[in-house]
Amino acid sequence: MRDYDAIVIGGGHAGIEAALALSREGFPTLLITQSLDAIGRMSCNPSIGGLAKGNLVREIDALGGEMGRLADSAMIQMRLLNRRRGPAVQAPRAQEDKFSYSRKAKETLEKEPHLSLFMDTVTDLLVEDGAVIGVVTERGWSISARTVVLTTGTFMDGRIFIGEYEAPCGRLAEAAAIGLGDSLRRLGFHTGRMKTGTPARVLLSSLDLNRMEVQEGDSPMSAFSFETESIDRPSLPCYVTYTNETTHRIIRDNIHRSPLYGGKIIGRGPRYCPSIEDKVVRFPDRERHQIFVEPEGIGSEEMYLNGLSSSLPEDVQHAFIHSIPGLEHAQIMRPAYAVEYDYLDPLDLYPSLESKILANLFIAGQTNGTSGYEEAAAQGLVAGLNAAERLKGNRPFILSRTESYIGVLIDDLVTKGTKEPYRMFTSRAEYRLSLRHDTADQRLTAKGYALGLVSKDRMDRLDRKNETIAAVKDVLRSVRVGAKSAYDVLKEPDKDIMALGIPALEAFPSSVLTEAELDIRYEGYISRQERELEKARKAENLEIPADFDYDSVDGISSESKEKLKAIRPLSIGQAGRISGVRVSDIAVLAVAVRSVRRG
Amino acid sequence: MAHYTTDEPVYALATPFSPSALAVLRASGDGVTKLFAPFFTGRLLSAPSSSAVHGFIVDGTGERIDEVMVIRYGKGHGYTSEEAFEIMCHGSLPVIRRISRLLEECGIREALPGEFTYRAFMHGRMDLTEAEAVEEIVSSKTERGASDALFRLTGSIHSEAEKAKDSILDILASLEVQLDYGEDEIPEEWEFPSERVDPICSRLLSIAATYSSSRLWSDGALVVIAGRTNAGKSSLFNVLLKQNRAIVSPVEGTTRDYIEADAVIAGIPVHLFDTAGLRDTEESIEAEGIRRTEDLMEKADLIVYVIDPSSGDVPPDDSRVLAVYSRLDLTGSDGSLAFSSVTGEGMDQVIDAIAKRLTDGLDACTGVPRIDSERQRDALIAASDALKDAEQSMQFGYDVVAMYLQSALSSLADLTGETTGEDVLDRLFSSFCLGK
Repeated sequence: MRDYDAIVIGGGHAGIEAALALSREGFPTLLITQSLDAIGRMSCNPSIGGLAKGNLVREIDALGGEMGRLADSAMIQMRLLNRRRGPAVQAPRAQEDKFSYSRKAKETLEKEPHLSLFMDTVTDLLVEDGAVIGVVTERGWSISARTVVLTTGTFMDGRIFIGEYEAPCGRLAEAAAIGLGDSLRRLGFHTGRMKTGTPARVLLSSLDLNRMEVQEGDSPMSAFSFETESIDRPSLPCYVTYTNETTHRIIRDNIHRSPLYGGKIIGRGPRYCPSIEDKVVRFPDRERHQIFVEPEGIGSEEMYLNGLSSSLPEDVQHAFIHSIPGLEHAQIMRPAYAVEYDYLDPLDLYPSLESKILANLFIAGQTNGTSGYEEAAAQGLVAGLNAAERLKGNRPFILSRTESYIGVLIDDLVTKGTKEPYRMFTSRAEYRLSLRHDTADQRLTAKGYALGLVSKDRMDRLDRKNETIAAVKDVLRSVRVGAKSAYDVLKEPDKDIMALGIPALEAFPSSVLTEAELDIRYEGYISRQERELEKARKAENLEIPADFDYDSVDGISSESKEKLKAIRPLSIGQAGRISGVRVSDIAVLAVAVRSVRRG
Repeated sequence: MAHYTTDEPVYALATPFSPSALAVLRASGDGVTKLFAPFFTGRLLSAPSSSAVHGFIVDGTGERIDEVMVIRYGKGHGYTSEEAFEIMCHGSLPVIRRISRLLEECGIREALPGEFTYRAFMHGRMDLTEAEAVEEIVSSKTERGASDALFRLTGSIHSEAEKAKDSILDILASLEVQLDYGEDEIPEEWEFPSERVDPICSRLLSIAATYSSSRLWSDGALVVIAGRTNAGKSSLFNVLLKQNRAIVSPVEGTTRDYIEADAVIAGIPVHLFDTAGLRDTEESIEAEGIRRTEDLMEKADLIVYVIDPSSGDVPPDDSRVLAVYSRLDLTGSDGSLAFSSVTGEGMDQVIDAIAKRLTDGLDACTGVPRIDSERQRDALIAASDALKDAEQSMQFGYDVVAMYLQSALSSLADLTGETTGEDVLDRLFSSFCLGK
């Protein structure tokens, strides 16, 4: 008898989803966090969503996860990005009140009947016969469980840097989790160092807003969650300003004092979100860089200087911030800092996010070398769902690349690994035209229902919505516009369903009309991809046993064999995506796998 | 890049790619008969499984390509257990190529080496062992030297394709920035860079056009084996033909006239001539033979000049000459080409050198590198079409434009046999300053 069915280590965005998925499926779950006051904290930018990331949030929601609802409840600005650049790559992004978000996240966890919260630091795992059976904490507790989900974020041996200053922290003034990294290394886990950073926060009333551009959000605000009917929240503006030659000169003159350039930080940082010193050094020809000044919450004076993340000393930060229009007298409340932390090589994971090294241990979030709240939450949900499937004795739950960004994210991590903090981009998805944010419910909600995380009610509502969309399409087929049906007219570029002026459509909600319109518009392009999709699905369905003996197969080149043995793919499809493995080797492998199954 | 699959329509030439009385092409996959039926005059769709149907294969314009027999196999009956058919056609190289091209136009791709056996095994053909299936894939991989040369890229085509890929990747990266970063961060509008894309299209198309004008592929290359008497010409000829066609004897002057044969050397169709040895002679018949040899050498695309290292002979000074030393054991290690007619040692290098000289020679003729297979031509045309589709989709949305640019890249990857070396995101991060 174990103390709990599941223990979740960490209360960040990954931990929240994992703990809720497990407890909502009825498994007694314990969430252990270093600080109960830091649950669901947005450590960096005060926003959720964005391109590709917004799709992740909607997919999490469609599967029965929490992030969409939390974001809806705390948003203070919403924008639909890429309205004009192509509907398939549009995505919602919200500015969030990070204080409300965190509080709401904690309340949600507290209300969950099968979930307990406990404040302590996990320092070691209890292991028996190659499987995890519990955890050991700093204050000496040994707690047993049938499954463990590890979501330690940037806290494992975290170290922050502000110029010459450095301290063992996961976030500014929050102690790092020391010991767990060593324990895991002792157990055979492969770890590496990564680096990320965050900009300074400044006092709103010390800013000269007149010298900046104002950036308003959309009105009305749209929701992330398919369950949110409407949003009644205040909409706050963001502000835009720019760096200049003086800013750049100050940074260049002090670059030797940056721990990044002085060699103190060895971890690899993200190229897509470079520090201001990186931007200045790598792109010396740029005359200015854009800075977004974003509110951290309602009623708070703290403003986030998006675009100015830095690890330069505080006196240098003061100098370069004050060189920027509107920020001349900015009072810095929290300095920018870089954080370096241990991550665990995601190649050591199965697509279920279960560890190949320790059975019943699932790992999710920034610990796996990703960045971003959305990427973390998506993994947390998948890890939680898979821990639950393990407890039920079921096969793993794996989303494919063809049906979701979540599938792309996890497949990339466990098949290709990552050298820098991994962020989701739409260009990582080969079939992104089929992965629109507004179709996440159609792609995934039935799966969430089958797993037990989505209610019957919600499933019924989706069925009704699908009937409505079908009804709209029927109307469009029957109405003629000129020589064509309205349906065919919508396949032409720049045609708007609202502008067709069809009376029979007036009764339908606009979200349904837009979805029908986009379905029709992309129909031709998606069917172009259908054959590729079919091939991909077939290869995915050809499973490789987890204990498959690659050495017993003749005819696979030794180089490919080494890679296959290291990654141990679960399907021929996954094997085919490992870089540098030859097509003919994959064919030989397929034959061997088929032969094992027959034998 | 093509992968080993099941059920996807594929075809393969089942007989060797060389001139012969009869050739057999097999096709297999879901709906494969229906794809082909419109180009065949026989009543294929209504024919019972495993029966043969007589008729003509016609191209899209109705022009007859060849009179053939087609055997139709219903699902579960043919070699692969998939729906399949076999075409028995005349074994001339142009006919085989035209039928192959037609099948590709029907949407049936060329099978990978061993793919038919692979499919048979995957569909549970119990009479096949795993070892056989693997053997077929692996051995055809090494044997591909021969069949693959048909699709070999000369160095210049490869670098042209890489250049085009590089430019398209640049363009795609500049577009992906717009799709992966919001309009607040990247406010600039993206314009289709026609001034960069149009020249790529015309370049790709002009390379594609060299296919039809390539004499090498329509008529075969004229290759003459020449050299002094008893230098080992006939031995080389025989090894190249892999059959004992010419008489090999140690008596000088055995081959008094030339002997001609059609052969495929490293995938290239070749008219191969074994000629009389060059020497001063009083005998009139032999002198006539030597005169004809000299005529042939005049017309040849390539002269393989065989030298016995002990003879002290030197090759004639002619850019078309490829000097080859016989009797490997006698040559030094000076890096010159040599082969042994007894052990066959060195023959691979000789064959490679012949193929290289033939294709290099073609490239040198014109400013545009030549291609020599339908597959290459189709890949080039597909890439160019995709680029034009990209331009025409500007009204529709950047997401669709990006899809077409991707598809142009993957067509070029099919051509070079490599997937895009550099990730579009790598290109994006190295070219643009991003991240707020």
